[in-house]
Amino acid sequence: MDSRDSSSSQSTPAANRETTASAAAASSSTAGEDDAVLSVTAALAKDAALHFQSRRFTECLAVLYQLKLKKEDNPKVLHNIAIAEYFRDGCSDPRKLLEVLNNVKEKSEQLAQASGEQVDAGSNTGNKVISGSKGSATTAHQFSATNGATLVYMDEFDPAVATLNIAIICFHLHEYTKALSVLEPLYHNIEPIDETTALHVCLLFLDVALACQDASKSAEVLIYLEKAFGVGCVSQGDNVSAAHQQPANLAAKSSSILSSSSALDASNSDLTPSGNALENSLSRTLSLSEESLEYETMFALDISGQNFTRPSGLPSSNDLSRIQLDRSMSTIDLKLKLQLYKVRFLLLTRNLKQAKREVKLAMNIARGRDSSTALLLKSQLEYARGNHRKAIKLLMASSNRTEMGISSMFNNLGCIYYRLHKYHTSSVLFSKALSSSSSLWKDKPLKLSTFLQDKSLLIMYNCGIQHLACGKPLLAARCFQKASLIFYNHPILWLRLAECCLMALDRGLIKSGRTSDKSEIIVHVIGKGKWRHLAIENGSSRNGYLDPVEREDLFLGSDGQPKLSVSLARQCLLNALHLLDCSDIKGLKSSLPSSISLEENESSEAGSLKNSNHKGLTGLDTKASTLSVGLGQLNANGDAKEQKGVTSQEIMQNSISYFEDICLRENQMIKQALLANLAYVELELENPEKALSTAKSLLELAECSRIYVFLGHVYAAEALCLLNKPKEAAEHLSIYLSGGSNVELPFSQEDCEQWQLEKTFDCEDSNGGSSAKISFPEESRGIVFHKPEEARGTLYANFATMYAAQGELERAHHFVTQALSIIPDSPEATLTAVYVDLMLGKSQAAISKLKQCSRVKFVPSHVQLNKS
Amino acid sequence: MNMALSFEESNVVHALLTSEQRPIDEILAEFSSKLGRPRYFAVCNSLLLLLEDRRMLKATERLIAFAILHQAYSSLPNSVNPFISYIVNAACDDEAEKCERAFILQLLVSGGSNGGKEFLEQSAANYIKLFDSSAHAFPQCEQLQQQYCDEVHSEPYNCFFKNAAVKNVVPDPDVPQSCDANSQEFDLQPGAKPKIGSGDRDETLTELLAHLSLEGLGPQWIRPRPPMLPIQDGELVWINPDNNHELMWDHGMCADTSRGAAVRDLITKALKGPLAPAQQEQVLVELANDPKLVYHCGLTPRKLPELVENNPLIAVDVLTKLINSPEIADYFTVLVNMDMSLHSMEVVNRLTTAVELPKEFVRMYITNCISSCENIKDKYMQNRLVRLVCVFLQSLIRNRIIDVKDLFIEVQAFCIEFSRIREAAGLFRLLKTLE
Repeated sequence: MDSRDSSSSQSTPAANRETTASAAAASSSTAGEDDAVLSVTAALAKDAALHFQSRRFTECLAVLYQLKLKKEDNPKVLHNIAIAEYFRDGCSDPRKLLEVLNNVKEKSEQLAQASGEQVDAGSNTGNKVISGSKGSATTAHQFSATNGATLVYMDEFDPAVATLNIAIICFHLHEYTKALSVLEPLYHNIEPIDETTALHVCLLFLDVALACQDASKSAEVLIYLEKAFGVGCVSQGDNVSAAHQQPANLAAKSSSILSSSSALDASNSDLTPSGNALENSLSRTLSLSEESLEYETMFALDISGQNFTRPSGLPSSNDLSRIQLDRSMSTIDLKLKLQLYKVRFLLLTRNLKQAKREVKLAMNIARGRDSSTALLLKSQLEYARGNHRKAIKLLMASSNRTEMGISSMFNNLGCIYYRLHKYHTSSVLFSKALSSSSSLWKDKPLKLSTFLQDKSLLIMYNCGIQHLACGKPLLAARCFQKASLIFYNHPILWLRLAECCLMALDRGLIKSGRTSDKSEIIVHVIGKGKWRHLAIENGSSRNGYLDPVEREDLFLGSDGQPKLSVSLARQCLLNALHLLDCSDIKGLKSSLPSSISLEENESSEAGSLKNSNHKGLTGLDTKASTLSVGLGQLNANGDAKEQKGVTSQEIMQNSISYFEDICLRENQMIKQALLANLAYVELELENPEKALSTAKSLLELAECSRIYVFLGHVYAAEALCLLNKPKEAAEHLSIYLSGGSNVELPFSQEDCEQWQLEKTFDCEDSNGGSSAKISFPEESRGIVFHKPEEARGTLYANFATMYAAQGELERAHHFVTQALSIIPDSPEATLTAVYVDLMLGKSQAAISKLKQCSRVKFVPSHVQLNKS
Repeated sequence: MNMALSFEESNVVHALLTSEQRPIDEILAEFSSKLGRPRYFAVCNSLLLLLEDRRMLKATERLIAFAILHQAYSSLPNSVNPFISYIVNAACDDEAEKCERAFILQLLVSGGSNGGKEFLEQSAANYIKLFDSSAHAFPQCEQLQQQYCDEVHSEPYNCFFKNAAVKNVVPDPDVPQSCDANSQEFDLQPGAKPKIGSGDRDETLTELLAHLSLEGLGPQWIRPRPPMLPIQDGELVWINPDNNHELMWDHGMCADTSRGAAVRDLITKALKGPLAPAQQEQVLVELANDPKLVYHCGLTPRKLPELVENNPLIAVDVLTKLINSPEIADYFTVLVNMDMSLHSMEVVNRLTTAVELPKEFVRMYITNCISSCENIKDKYMQNRLVRLVCVFLQSLIRNRIIDVKDLFIEVQAFCIEFSRIREAAGLFRLLKTLE
């Protein structure tokens, strides 16, 4: 208090002149008046907070406006006004609030920086300048003057709450990446933030990281939360009795944390006991002029005095534990919450075994409470494990019957039915989910959570997949376009959109240079009788190109809907490749892709080992903690907690690396598909050079499905033919050649099954639909899939084409005959056969081939001859 | 470019071809006026394909067709005419009618500037009627090629498959079996009732003109469509209800900022000189009571050296509490770079036992200690510092704070350099026992 008085009275006249009127008044006032101002504003602030808590926003604002008069431009006042006004106005405009909060945050940072600079500058040049800087600081903030050259700004301009609120709004608006970028600096500087806010920051960060599918960040926060808030470390067996003991157990626990932390403080800093010793040594050092000093003894004293009970492992983990102040949620609620987060994390990383264990634990904790979320997660778990019937049962049991709950339930059921290959049912379910999601908006007044609960964009993606699978590319594209608001940074979205384009192209729904559907041969019948001719529709325009006009068209039609085209497909594929490359760089892992399958086995083995390890520790742990509760052995308790923390950390670490492998493989799959599609699209657009380079990069991929290897070779060969390099083209095809004239199967049925991800699930309780290898009645119409035999036929036909074009008609004849025996209905093979016959002068044979092929359509010609 | 002729175009061309009684130059003039230059290539191409089939066109029609082929590009040198090689070959074709060959030769000659276009003033029918083969000489093929195709352009590049293309029209005469399709009996007789197998040549001609195309029919490459990527695990979005996150009220608004004012004042004092034991006690107690206070006590990395020199105990306590702060690295940097002293060593020594320090920091600190000893000029002060450093290092080694292996050479050299000092010898012995 003394120093405050002196500092304000010491402020120089020059500084005073700089100050604003109000600040000048404050700085010239006595300490008593200062206190009065302080208490008045503090009281007002308290009032406002009370009004806010009881949701009386008008009254709250009245008080806040008063405060604003007293404390002009105070960022915290402005912040609270913005929040209160937002609630008063029915939460209608979150974007506006976002803008205001961003301004507040900016202002806080500026003010903090300004005062921070002054403080730092002051510290350099000694007292006199410090007092001067104090004077000028009053212009920024009158209280800093009265409090001396200290870091008051840390409290006063701390933008933590504003930042958190910004992130909350972004989260509600589904802008997860932005929310993450706002939260990250806050999380990394979480130590100085008070308990309540810090907990919110952590929980939100966790939600956002999970929404972004960022496994490592999720794990980081989870581990931190378990340590810092002292929950999640209470071990608990699977037995029921443990669950009953739990509350008491927990209470003891939290108190033990409290006392243990203080005890640790004492022993850690080591000051109380050895303070005197130090004093001694210090004084002795000061009188060092006496040579008699024994340095050895000086330090030896310390060494012996300390006993070296330095905590094993990370001592910081103890310091992390936060004392639970007035928390809005009870310990058990928090514990349940964290447990559910853990399950979500494990589901995200597809560590299903561990997830099963943890979800059981969550069910135990949730006993007698709201267990709907736990049930939902359990349902998701069973869905992920392929136990679809069980998943449905659990989903129906989770009794969340709100609009939101119903919407997500329909959606999730839709997912399950899709997996059951019941496409019609899943389509109905998805559209029901959409309609009940949109009915959320009917509820007035709006809430911020309404934005969050509207999951229609997520459901849209599912709808898109469903339409695509049912062969409706235009509808699917519309869904994907809407979903792109959220999924724009997911490569797979762009792949799907490109697939829509290609499917539309295939179905003849979009214009290309093609004169007709590719699946038919048009033959014009010209003239009659003796003069009758057959004109086979121009073959080359079948391999059609787009009109130049079409090419320049924008991707959006006049109605704002995406205009599907081959060029749009190319753009989408390039987007996806770019995103994929970015993510590759981000999560660079130099593991050799070829050894992945091996690694996976190993890691899963290691995982199970670790798991069993963990189980053992859990048992130990339970004992340890009960012991500690009985005997009050704080140290043993702390150690047990430590070990537990490490194990759970290990589980998470394993999950993350397992997940990284999964993502790596998934990205590889996507990349293959992208390159194959892109090579195809470039061929369609008549860019053989680009097609060739794309096909080559597809073939260069380390781990490439044999299906895509086949496609890569065929595309590369075609591109080379188009570039007039038949020799090199032949090299690509001839790897499938054996014995000079026989073509091998380019891939096997197993390759197909592996590629289609149809796998049998290991179901411990195999009463559900245990294996996915059942042939389902409802066939998907979207997946045009090459059977190995068809691929072989294609190779025969293309060999024939290549030889024919080089004039090797006899060989061509051999290959095309083989091709037609495998794929008799192929229009291309038929035309090649016709060509070869015509070249060999066998026009009768050619005509009879045309007449035999089921894909040929004879159309009469309609020219009116104007006879004059 | 659309290569096929429209029906109107084919009608026009058909009418031109069949005007055997009109003077040929009139026909050519009509050709130029009715069909635009951009269409020439398409028309000529169709004509060429018709000419290739000897059966299709009558002799007069062939002459007119050749005249058009030639005329279309007559404004350019012969060698630029895309059809020149065909025309030249036709002129040398021994199987062709003499009359036709002579006509073509005259066309070629007339291409020059020396006139000679009179023969075009008669009708095609008349030309054939008046033709006298003895009046014409037929030069060798090579000679003609040299004369007219010397700068022959290579085939316009299309592509591999297209270059190999074959004509896409096949005759498929629809006549009763065992009848000769070439027989005159199936030609449509004006006025007569059409019989089975008969057909109208003119009608066919027009339709053919429309359906012949430059590209013709080539061998077809099968371009398999890439399959749709199977739905990936977790690709379908499963929706879990979100956790509730309400907007937060900032309780820091106008809060009592005097929190810890006393500590702040004491820390300020502690920068200037040692605190009294009671004051020191007060700081430690208050910092212990409010774990967040350490962030608000007014200490910054820059001020740390002053605190270390004046109140090492408080410095140790504050640093221990700040160990999780993101700023701790800055504090360590300052600590490493400040002047060596008993107090700084005291602080580091205590820190090593209280918290886990970054290995890099400890190493750098030791390196700094050693180099400070070496650089000091005052012998007395050097002795003092060396002894301190030795004791400090022994303490670190005994407490297993540092792994001797990391610094073995450095420390050994230090011991040897200062072997005259008793503590250094002691440290050396300690090193030897660890070896």
